[in-house]
Amino acid sequence: MIATLKEIFEYKTMIWSLVHRDLRGRYKASVLGFLWTFIVPLAQLLVYTLVFSVILRSQIEKYYLYLFVALIPWNFFSNCLTGGVSCIIQQQSLVKKIYFPREVVPIAYVTGAFVNMLYCEIVVFAVCIFSGVHFSVLGLLCLPLVMAIEYILALGITLIISAVDVYFRDLEHILGILSMVWMFMTPIMYDINIVPQRLLPIFRLNPMTNVVVAYRDILYSGGVPALGTLSLAAAMGVVFLLVGLVVFGKLKRRFAEEM
Amino acid sequence: MDSQKNEAPVVIDVRDIKKKFIVYYDKGNTLKEKAIFSKRRRHEVHWVLEGISFQVRRGEAVGLIGQNGCGKSTTLKMLTRILYPDAGSIKMQGRVSSLIELGAGFHPDMSGRENIYTNAAIFGLTKKEIDARIDDIIAFSELEAFIDNPVRTYSSGMYMRLAFAVAINVDADILLIDEILAVGDAAFQAKCFNRMMEIKAKGTTIVIVSHALSQIEQICDRTIWIQNGRIRMEGAPRDVHPHYMAWMAQKNAGQQGTQKPAEDTKRWGSGEARMEKITVLDGQGRERNSFSPEEAFTVRVDYAANSLLPNAVVGLAIYRSDQTYIYGTNTLIDTSEPVKLQKQGTILLHIDRLPVANGHYTIDLALHRPDGFDYDFWRECASVSIAGAVQTPGVIHLEHHWKID
Repeated sequence: MIATLKEIFEYKTMIWSLVHRDLRGRYKASVLGFLWTFIVPLAQLLVYTLVFSVILRSQIEKYYLYLFVALIPWNFFSNCLTGGVSCIIQQQSLVKKIYFPREVVPIAYVTGAFVNMLYCEIVVFAVCIFSGVHFSVLGLLCLPLVMAIEYILALGITLIISAVDVYFRDLEHILGILSMVWMFMTPIMYDINIVPQRLLPIFRLNPMTNVVVAYRDILYSGGVPALGTLSLAAAMGVVFLLVGLVVFGKLKRRFAEEM
Repeated sequence: MDSQKNEAPVVIDVRDIKKKFIVYYDKGNTLKEKAIFSKRRRHEVHWVLEGISFQVRRGEAVGLIGQNGCGKSTTLKMLTRILYPDAGSIKMQGRVSSLIELGAGFHPDMSGRENIYTNAAIFGLTKKEIDARIDDIIAFSELEAFIDNPVRTYSSGMYMRLAFAVAINVDADILLIDEILAVGDAAFQAKCFNRMMEIKAKGTTIVIVSHALSQIEQICDRTIWIQNGRIRMEGAPRDVHPHYMAWMAQKNAGQQGTQKPAEDTKRWGSGEARMEKITVLDGQGRERNSFSPEEAFTVRVDYAANSLLPNAVVGLAIYRSDQTYIYGTNTLIDTSEPVKLQKQGTILLHIDRLPVANGHYTIDLALHRPDGFDYDFWRECASVSIAGAVQTPGVIHLEHHWKID
C-alpha cells in the first residue's frame, strides 16, 4: 500500500490535469461558462428560500441559510455517489490502453467535485455575511479540517463504489436511490435534535451526519464544532479511506478485462 | 554476437506467464442475470497464453510477431500492466512507457499545448518534466503555427502527429510499442523511424509488437514468434522471419485450398511489385562481382509492378558472409519521400565504395510500403566479393591520418 501511495503521488500531475480538464471541459461550450458554478447554487438557494419562507414556513430561524450551509457539502458528497460511481467506466478508454495507478481516476473525480464545492463555498460565505452571521475565529480555523474530513470520506466511498461498479453496473442505479434515502437520513433539511432519541445512535453512525452538523456549527451558528463530532467524523473518514484503498487495490487488477 | 550486450542486466524477466479469458456466450452484468443465471450461463475458458518465458537485457530491442490472436498483444499488455497474468511472474526494472494508445485523454476543445500537458501527464510525467520537453514535442510535431488552437480544428493527420510527438518524447528505460509506426505521411513516418533509432541508440530497452517485419528487422536485435500462446521460435530477426513467412504462406495456401508451393525462405512479399533481375555493375557498366574496397559499383534492379505504386520504399542491406550486418538504408530514410514504382522500370543504386575487410558480402533488397508491408523482399539476391591489396583487420576500413609530434 505504501508503494501504491508513493506511485499515486508521482502521478500528481496527471491528477491535476484530469481535474483541470474536468473543470474546464464542463462549461467550455456554454455561453456563461464558469459562471454556472455560481449560478446553480444561487438558484437552489432562491428556490429553497421561496419554498420554505413563503409556503412551508419553517420554525427554524433563517431556514434558507440553515439549509444552504448543509446542502452545498451534501451536493458534493452526493455527486461523488451518483457520478463518482461510474468514473472508472467513464475513463475506460484510458484504463484499457494505458498504465497508471488506477486510483488516480477516482481521486481526480472527487478532487474535481471538491474544487467545485470550494467555489460554491464562496457563495455560501457571501450569503452568511449578508445574513449577518458572526463567525468564531476558532470555528473558521476548523472549517478546512471539516472539509478535509469530508474529502477523505467521499474519496474512500468513491474508491469502493467505482471499483465495484466495473463488475456490477446496477450499482449506478442503486446509488441513485440510495443517495436520495441517504439525504433524508442525514439532518440536512431538519435538525439533529428532532431525531427520536432511540434512533440517534443510528444517525451518529451515518458518517455524513457528523460532517453536516460540523459545517452547520461553523457557518450557521457561528460557533465551534464539538470535539466529539469532529473526532468521530475524522475516524470514520480514515476508516472509509483505508477500506476504500484496500478494496480498490484488490479489484483494480481485472478492470481492463471486465470492461 | 555483441558480447557487451549479453552482459547487460536483465530488465524484463518474464517467467512462464499464463493468461486465460473467460468468454461468455451471453454476458449478463445485471443483478438479475447474475443471480438467476449464474450457473446456467454458458462460457468457455480460452487460454491466450499457455506459458511464455523470455528475458530482455538493457538496451536490447525485441520484436514480438505472430498472427492475430496469437497472444502477442496480450503479452505486451501484461508488460504494460494493463492486464495481469493468471500464473507466472513479470519483473521489470526502470521506468516503463507504452506507446499503445496515442492521444490518450485529448480533449477536443483544448489547445494543442494544453493537450500535450494532459497527455504527457497520463504517461506519468510531472509538470517540470513536461515543461522541459514541451519545445521538443512541439518542434517534433511540426505544429508550431497551430499549437494554441483547439485540437478539434486539427486534421486527423495533425492530431496523430501531435499524439506521436508526445509519446515519442517520453523518456523511458523501457519502451513498449504496439503497431504505431504507421502514423502520418511518409516523411513523418521516416522521422518517427529515425527517432526510434535514436532512442535505441541511447540504450533504451524496446519491445515492439508489429506485423511489419522489415521494421522489426531494422530496429530489433531479436524476434520472438508467438503461436497459440507459446513461443514458437526465438532468435535474430533475419533467422526467424523467413520461417515465419514460409509458415504464413503455407497456412494461407492451405486456407485457399490451392496447392501453392511453400514459399522460398529467402524471398517473400505480396508480389504487387517484383524484382525481375538484379545485377551488379562496375564503373564502365559491365557486370562484375569482385571489387577492390576503393572501387565504385552500381546495383541495378529491373522490376515490374501490377499497377502504378505511388507510395513505395526501396531498401537495401549488406551482410558479411558470417551474417554480420554491415549497412542498411532505404529511400525513405534517405529522402523522406515515397518512391513511385512504374509498371516496368529500373532502379539504380550507386555506391561510391565499400571500404570493408576482404571477403564475401551479400545484398538484400526489398520493395515495400512505408508501413513495412512487403511487396517483394529478397534476401541474398546479389553478392559482391571485396578483395583489397591489404587485408583490413576488423569490419571496415576507416579513412585516417596520423599526426605525430
